[in-house]
Amino acid sequence: MSPQRVTRVQLLLLMLFLMTLQFYLRPRLGSARVSPDFLLIGLMLFAMRSGAGAGAMAGFLVGLIEDSLTPARFGASALAHTLVGYFAAWGRAVFFADNMLVNAAFVAVGLWFRDLVVLVTSGTEHRQLFTELTLYSPLQALTTAGFALLVLVTFRAWFSIRLDA
Amino acid sequence: MSSISDRRYTRRDTVLFIMCLGLSILSLFSPVSWSYSVADTLRRTVLAPLVWLQTRAEEGRTSRVRFRTVTAQRDSAAYLAQFLPALRAENERLRQLLKLSHRLNIGYVPAEVLHQPHATDGRTLLLSVGSRQGVGPFNPVVAPEGLIGMVLTTTPQSSVAMTWAHPEFRVSAYTVGGNALGVVAPSTENGGEGALELRGVPFRDSIPLGTLVLSSGLGGVFPKGIPIGSVVGTIREEAGWERVYRLRPAANPGSAPHVLVLVGSRATDLVSAFPSDSLLEAMRQDSLARIERADSLAQAAKALRAARRDSLARTSPMLGGSPTSAARAVKDSTP
Repeated sequence: MSPQRVTRVQLLLLMLFLMTLQFYLRPRLGSARVSPDFLLIGLMLFAMRSGAGAGAMAGFLVGLIEDSLTPARFGASALAHTLVGYFAAWGRAVFFADNMLVNAAFVAVGLWFRDLVVLVTSGTEHRQLFTELTLYSPLQALTTAGFALLVLVTFRAWFSIRLDA
Repeated sequence: MSSISDRRYTRRDTVLFIMCLGLSILSLFSPVSWSYSVADTLRRTVLAPLVWLQTRAEEGRTSRVRFRTVTAQRDSAAYLAQFLPALRAENERLRQLLKLSHRLNIGYVPAEVLHQPHATDGRTLLLSVGSRQGVGPFNPVVAPEGLIGMVLTTTPQSSVAMTWAHPEFRVSAYTVGGNALGVVAPSTENGGEGALELRGVPFRDSIPLGTLVLSSGLGGVFPKGIPIGSVVGTIREEAGWERVYRLRPAANPGSAPHVLVLVGSRATDLVSAFPSDSLLEAMRQDSLARIERADSLAQAAKALRAARRDSLARTSPMLGGSPTSAARAVKDSTP
């Protein structure tokens, strides 16, 4: 088994771990609105190490999961995550973001952008949109970016590959 | 210049992206019934483990919250239980006050004592009733145990009462047996804080320990019969003409949470409204004394009868006596 394959397996395990955190730990955390979005962390970390198409596909799947669990406006989350996955992969190619802090910043921006797309496509009222985008989304972006940084520091070696190579 | 493989790779990415984008938009604008059925299907199949996981997490969180709630309730119960004796005591005190109010044959206004965190709180008390409730200066203030003091000043909503602990407090008093009259004032002796003294008792009038001292009604401020305290000792004897007794106060103004302000006529006798232990003891002793007196009379009569029998025996010739001695014996035994 090649080292690269081992790393891919490890990365898959890490994604499963993040998914478990999303559905088992996140409900136990305080406010669901500002607690870290582990699925988005997984999506961003995957997309930033893969091609734009794979990123978009992963985003679509993650969005479909979220749409199925919160079907208030089915498809909004799929659209948002597709865009986020695609642009994460594209942005990484543009910015050569190997710096962990830049990675974490990508996660924060991705979360805020995801919220923007979901809220707009869901037809949110202007005042609520403003409140969400200026208060809750930045807070959640901060917590999510913080946890993403923690994951990157902890599993630094596992993220040293490019999955599209 | 990019290679063919790079271009194919980019084209594949673009195709994937457009496909995902199209599916997203399609689902976004699909009929609601379709959306719900797709979501339901996904939740029942692929996402079932994740939903189960989240359900367990929610249950765990709820259990934790429930545990916290139960713990908080237990802590609250424990906290309240700490105050249970105090609540019981206050309840008992209110019952006593209620009983007293039923026994009182005089107008009264119930009041709460608003204790202040001052060292001199026991000397004057702030009461929660004022002139609007009919309270005026010099109205007596009583507790179920006995006299607290009298009202000094009033405002429409509150009033200030001078208690027996105030240095200027005086009340005319008498003992339950009625054998001594005097004036009760706060004790000025060393260590006399919280004690009273009964002054002006004539030297010839000795008061036993434990005797209850009541207000006499003289002076026109306090009605007759309010317990003031009980005798616990002698403080001094002045020049052989007066004794000063130390009294243990009947009521403690420093800890009284509720009182009654008497607003009716001061000429009323309130002895029956305060049936204290000492008063009962005095009544019991009175009855014992009466029984004792009755016993002594019976014994005297018995002795008399016995003496008569003896004298008759001595004077009877049949029993060996003489008429002269019999006549003398009858004369001696006749009271």
